Amino acid sequence: MATDPMAEIRASFFVECEELLESLQDALSDMEEGNHDNETINIVFRAVHSIKGGAGAFGLDALVGFAHRYETVLDELRSGRMTITPEAMKLFFQAADFLQDHVRAARDAAPPPDGSEDCLVALEALIGGGAGPVVEEEVTDFQPMGLAFDFGTVEETPTTPVWTVRFRPAAALFSSGNEPLHLLRALGKLGSCTTRCDLTRLPTLESLDPEGSWLEWTVEIAGDVTDFDIREVFDFVEDVCEIEITQGTAETAPSDAGGLSLPDFGLPGLPDLPPLAQDPEDPVPLAPAPAPRAEIVPMPKTEPRAEVPPPPFAAADQPTAPAAGPAGGAAPREAASEPSATVRVDLDRIDRLVNLVGELVINQAMLAQSVAEAGLPPNSAVMTGLEAFMMLTRDIQDSVMMIRAQPVKPLFQRMARIVREASGAVGKEVRLRTEGEATEVDKTVIERLADPLTHMIRNAVDHGLERPDKRRAAGKTAEGVITLSAQHRSGRVVIEVADDGAGINRPKVREIAISKGLIPPDAQLSDSEIDNLLFLPGFSTADQVSALSGRGVGMDVVRQAIQSLGGRITIHSEPGKGTRFSISLPLTLAVLDGMVVNVAGETLVVPLSAILETATLTDEDIRALGPNTNVIHVRGAFVPLYDLGAELGYRAPKSSYAGGIVLLTAQENGTRSALVVDSILEQRQVVIKGLQRSYGHIPGVAAATILGDGQIALILDPPDLVQNASGRTRSPAFALAG
Amino acid sequence: MTTIALASRLDLSQVTPLCTALRGASGADLVLDASAVTHLGGLALQVLASAAKSARLAGTSLIITPRSEAFDDALAVFGVTPADLQTGEAA
Repeated sequence: MATDPMAEIRASFFVECEELLESLQDALSDMEEGNHDNETINIVFRAVHSIKGGAGAFGLDALVGFAHRYETVLDELRSGRMTITPEAMKLFFQAADFLQDHVRAARDAAPPPDGSEDCLVALEALIGGGAGPVVEEEVTDFQPMGLAFDFGTVEETPTTPVWTVRFRPAAALFSSGNEPLHLLRALGKLGSCTTRCDLTRLPTLESLDPEGSWLEWTVEIAGDVTDFDIREVFDFVEDVCEIEITQGTAETAPSDAGGLSLPDFGLPGLPDLPPLAQDPEDPVPLAPAPAPRAEIVPMPKTEPRAEVPPPPFAAADQPTAPAAGPAGGAAPREAASEPSATVRVDLDRIDRLVNLVGELVINQAMLAQSVAEAGLPPNSAVMTGLEAFMMLTRDIQDSVMMIRAQPVKPLFQRMARIVREASGAVGKEVRLRTEGEATEVDKTVIERLADPLTHMIRNAVDHGLERPDKRRAAGKTAEGVITLSAQHRSGRVVIEVADDGAGINRPKVREIAISKGLIPPDAQLSDSEIDNLLFLPGFSTADQVSALSGRGVGMDVVRQAIQSLGGRITIHSEPGKGTRFSISLPLTLAVLDGMVVNVAGETLVVPLSAILETATLTDEDIRALGPNTNVIHVRGAFVPLYDLGAELGYRAPKSSYAGGIVLLTAQENGTRSALVVDSILEQRQVVIKGLQRSYGHIPGVAAATILGDGQIALILDPPDLVQNASGRTRSPAFALAG
Repeated sequence: MTTIALASRLDLSQVTPLCTALRGASGADLVLDASAVTHLGGLALQVLASAAKSARLAGTSLIITPRSEAFDDALAVFGVTPADLQTGEAA
């Protein structure tokens, strides 16, 4: 197992960054809505600050640099030296977006995003150019330890502070993949450092637990360093090490070395802080000459530790505990928006569990079938037991699916950014309102929704909303509103993108469709049919191709993406009031409702979402088209007929399809096709078993499933099947004879 | 004189094998070849320092040579001198 512990920590840092970015966005949104209290501003500040701190530990300089300058401006806000204006809010949002880009760039080792410098310059202009350094201490409400030593002279003489950091890792620091070397290196970057390592507690090799912790470091740092800088280094290891940070000064240190004697009586005024007396006593030699290790003054409390595993940092640490990095100041915030208890689990493990539950469902179906075949009376103990088992299985399945479910909030936040960028690009004022952010959907569904939603949001900004002057003329506010909402509705999730714009300009849509030859000039179309023209490939209503949308990637692509998720998309538009796109999606991609059919003795599953209707053919319905193909006449239109048995190579085309059963399916582009099957067996939920990994892409086949009788059935992908179909529904012999 | 070549990345995953190897060679004069070391972690540092301590008690020698730049650099960051990890002739 050659896992790189640092890589793991780095990965978890980036996960934490995502959470911090999320809370940053939330707090900025709060601020935008007029909530300017200190707590909200502090959340914004701390999010940026924590990202900076973590990034520093990993040497992510570009990210640290950006976060630092952003933080500097936020600090002005926090200290009340600047006011929140709409302009400032815009820049704060923009900077948050750039911060996100920086985080992602750092994560992927990509170059830092372009344009962040401009954003920083604009931000800094708000506070009159480059600001001074952030007063870090304020962040945490931490009172510097220096206050404890009332040396009198210290404050009067402008001297370089010298910090003494005593750092003792616990075994857990190592086992959690942290490395003192990196921490010490990070300390070394803060200023001029003298590091001493106390090896005295080390046992001999025979009695050494190689994964225990026996070392202790004392680092003296001189330079322009704040307590906060130091604590930042230990931000991620606070709970797995003992840290004591004390301050002296370069000037006082050497002279006090001999003179100051505050040995063991502790500070009289501060009886609770005995160990701190060590620091004045343990002077800070600036000379880099390393003191002999044996001379390191052991803390009174440390003496009995000799060969004992490190006890928890008892009273000795209490003075520093409240100052434990940002935690001290963060406490009230965390109380305010306390995250629910969560466990991070590798996605692979969840997928394995999902798979196993799939097996369980299949197994249960098999058991049910055997029980049924055994002919037991319905009220027998076995039957009732089986029923309870089936319900339990269903519950387990639902619960496991819920593990994969995630709230749509991060997705919606991404869309907030799209709105900001898009509205900026086209010069419209747009406000995004989100509803139902807590609605949970399968992770895969969320991931695959990002692109279509982005496109829809851009469309809404670019085409949906009118320009401010037009809006005012229509009696609306200059600021357009786009509402993005999510909700569960009858076992599916419905996501809607609505704008309060002018609605679909139907005459224009019709005109464009005619000019592009998509519909005949004399076509009689209902309003909803006209609206649906938007989904035709290559359709664009914009007179000009803007930078934002209308680059030939149209709503047809959106619809295709939604359909590939087993979803549907519909439009509802009211002239003058706006347009609403509704996307209805399955909650999970692990199971699907399918129609189980029989074709030439093979059992196949056709996704229910692809089937419009089923029908039995009569002779009159079938019309020949060319030598090999047939069409059928359904509801006033001709639909190509495909024989599943022939297309899948199970048999030759039949001589006649009269009396045959067809499934009418709809394709992405709205065209329909009729698939001939021999019989329809049942309609049921099936567990999807991917075939891609073992067999690659099989034309016309989406996946497979295992049925209750243990039989493997292919799940068909009708649009793909039709695309690759020969369409032969007449055997050559029949054609010749006919 | 036994020579043990140290692994390149002396991190958490390597520390137990390192300890086992050193225990196995205890009692003998030992040369550790640190020329390939690119990363010296705190745990490995402990093991090496502990081995030096044991060697000092046993009166055997323990020398780390040659040492890579990364090894020496890590020692400097740790505030440890090569002498802390060695005993006998070279120390």
